Amino acid sequence: MTTAIDIQHIDKHFGRIKALDGLDLRVETGTVHGFLGPNGAGKSTTIRILLGLLRADRGRVRLLGGDPWADAVRLHRRLAYVPGDVELWPNLTGGEAIDLFARLRGGTDPVRRDELCQRFDLDPRKKGRTYSKGNRQKVALIAALASDVDLLLLDEPTAGLDPLMEAVFQECIREARAAGRTVLLSSHVLAQVEVLADQISIIRQGRIVETGSLTDLRHLTRTSVDAIVDSPAAALATLAGVHGLQDIDGHVRFEVDGEHLAVVVRRLGDLGVRGLTVRPPTLEQLLLRHYGDESARHGAVA
Amino acid sequence: MATVTVNRPVLATPGQGGGRVTGTGTLLRFMLRRDRIRLPAWTLGLALLMGYFATALETFVESPADLEGLTAFSGSPAGALFGGPGFGFDDLTIERFLAGQYGLYVALGAGLMGLLTVVRHTRAEERSGRAELVRASVVGRHAQLTAVLVLVAMMAAVVAILIGGLMASRGYDLGGALLFGASVGAVALVFAGVAAVTAQLSEYPRAASGAAGALLGAAFVLRGLGDMAAVQGSGASWLSWLSPVGWSQQTAPYVHDRWWPLAISLAFAVTAAAAGYALSARRDFGAGLVPPRPGPARAAAWLDGPLALAFRLHRASLIGWSVGLLAAGLAYGSFTQPLLDGFTDAPEDMVAIMGGTENLLDGYLGTMGLTMALVVGVYVVLAVQTLRSEESEGRAESVLATAVSRSAWIGSHLVVTAVGVPWLLLVAGAGMGVGAAVSTGDAGSLGGLLLGHVAHTPAVWLLLAAAALLYAVAPRVLPLIWVVLGYGLIVGYFAPILEIPASAARLSPFAHVGEHPLEEVSVVAVLVLTGLAAVTAQVARLVFRRDVVGRT
Repeated sequence: MTTAIDIQHIDKHFGRIKALDGLDLRVETGTVHGFLGPNGAGKSTTIRILLGLLRADRGRVRLLGGDPWADAVRLHRRLAYVPGDVELWPNLTGGEAIDLFARLRGGTDPVRRDELCQRFDLDPRKKGRTYSKGNRQKVALIAALASDVDLLLLDEPTAGLDPLMEAVFQECIREARAAGRTVLLSSHVLAQVEVLADQISIIRQGRIVETGSLTDLRHLTRTSVDAIVDSPAAALATLAGVHGLQDIDGHVRFEVDGEHLAVVVRRLGDLGVRGLTVRPPTLEQLLLRHYGDESARHGAVA
Repeated sequence: MATVTVNRPVLATPGQGGGRVTGTGTLLRFMLRRDRIRLPAWTLGLALLMGYFATALETFVESPADLEGLTAFSGSPAGALFGGPGFGFDDLTIERFLAGQYGLYVALGAGLMGLLTVVRHTRAEERSGRAELVRASVVGRHAQLTAVLVLVAMMAAVVAILIGGLMASRGYDLGGALLFGASVGAVALVFAGVAAVTAQLSEYPRAASGAAGALLGAAFVLRGLGDMAAVQGSGASWLSWLSPVGWSQQTAPYVHDRWWPLAISLAFAVTAAAAGYALSARRDFGAGLVPPRPGPARAAAWLDGPLALAFRLHRASLIGWSVGLLAAGLAYGSFTQPLLDGFTDAPEDMVAIMGGTENLLDGYLGTMGLTMALVVGVYVVLAVQTLRSEESEGRAESVLATAVSRSAWIGSHLVVTAVGVPWLLLVAGAGMGVGAAVSTGDAGSLGGLLLGHVAHTPAVWLLLAAAALLYAVAPRVLPLIWVVLGYGLIVGYFAPILEIPASAARLSPFAHVGEHPLEEVSVVAVLVLTGLAAVTAQVARLVFRRDVVGRT
């Protein structure tokens, strides 16, 4: 498997503020990579460095086998970018902007463009200034998805979309992956990443704090267990890896660390289980583990 | 930033609840905070400009004979066009000359100050979306407009006091000094009122200040034509009374000392502001008075690269400038015959002193070529400012994320602007030529006029390249380019009067080509300026290529 994005230990300062602090990021070709972190963690800075719009102070960046700063134009033919805040020219229509971006990138498929306009329910005849934030986002998304490129860099691409459009977006990303494209999807919308991403990197304060598949990360976290049992369950609390056990009239709730799950389930079976719900950890829980209260707040927003 | 205004309990006090101007005081303080550098810069800048004129003139005029020499140009019709009606120039004093000849430019500056300040705090805020936050708090519908009008009134008062004080401090008559200061301040008020109207018409701040600026230009032209007629003693001298700038000049400080023309200014400013309020109540927040129409669903086939995009973005402005310059050219050109009539009426030896009728006409046409070049210089600076907003408002980022290099991006904008320069000069020259031909019934000057205008192209190119370089180094320092343009204006019009040494005058890019048809076009200057412009633009491109994107 080849690597579409390979960032090794980059730093980036803005004046005295350290935006990136030894960040590493690898994205394999043909995967959807979730780039997850709270606001201000450095997601957009990383993507702008990948676009060659900013230059890293230190470290090594390879994008599609090239140097994003030196080979910007060559590489940009093979990628499409959707910024978090899409700004359009006030006196160009959305349709004009879509065509323009596609042509600047080196061509597009007009059939696919029209199909996407329809799927995203965008009126391309409106002037840029009359679009809402969500509609501006659609313009950039359609321009990106209609291009025949190897890599999609999406910086919080659905921040202004309604749930219906979000579903269309997810469909499009799955199609992109099926077509062999690589997607870097930055977000603080956890559910979106969870649904789409093969691999996830979590960024916090300019560095990657966790990376791997959702399965890998879940291994590091606790599973929630909710069971109705015949016998008293207090003894479970003494087992290694069990946390926060509650037992109310045979209704048992607790969390268990991934590596101790097998032992706990066996002991639970001995208690005469009549009902059982086991939930994998959500990304909120993953983030909670890294950021504590701070991420709980962002999770609530998302 | 806007949240500063929302948390003040004073806004929510009972009794103020339903007012349309609720929150004006808080907004005014907020504007003063935002303009803490801009306000002193404008007011002190205008006073310093006047101080510079006064000092330079006092140094130059050592004897009554020097004063008489001044009247030769300033008392002429062409001098009136660029100065004023020349009140009391038959018995000239330094203060009369200062108010009568240079006062115009300080007044124009004050007008710009007024209109730019109003647009900055109304339509520009609305366009950016910041005003939405403000208006969502306990702030009346008319509070923002009211606050900025109060702000401009304060700025106008400061300018009036500074300039009045400056003139009085040099020992000129106090009454005249105060009147002169007030006449300058009045122009700021009038054009604040004008901008209060234009800000309601379009959604774009640039269109709002452009329309108000065009009216300021029209006011300049109108009073110029009227003053010219007044100096010649024949023709449509009443035209001056149609111009807000003319009202200020008609106060005739140090001569008639009339205050009453300022009452017209004040009445006009109040009426215009009232119209602004009325219009703003008839439109939706964020909208213009003209509703948006659907456009094409697809881009035209030619819109396929950075150069085409740059052209598309500059197209509307190029069309507007073409129309404006054509109109101005026609207006100034059509005054050729009355100008010639004026010469024939003048005493023969006076005309001879000024180089004969033919030279006077050529001098007028040559000066107009320079004037149009300076005006096109304004276009060029505004075009480079477009680059700055493309970058700071995030659209450059989207373009540079495609297969467009930084060099191609900045280069395409520069090429489109550079091609626009000879085009606009050609349009202005054609307007002048046609106007002159119609007015004199003789098309003989057309060729000379076209050449005289277009010959300034390399000078404007150098200005463009310098602006691009400033922008490439740091977008924040781009406004410094106005200094170059202002210097070009001062050298072009006043170098002989202000005794600017030739070596210093040569620093202006506009001082080399020659004012054809009065002077020959210097081919060497054309080549050298073109070369310099090309090299500077190349440096700008290289500097820009090495910098990051998303600067402000």
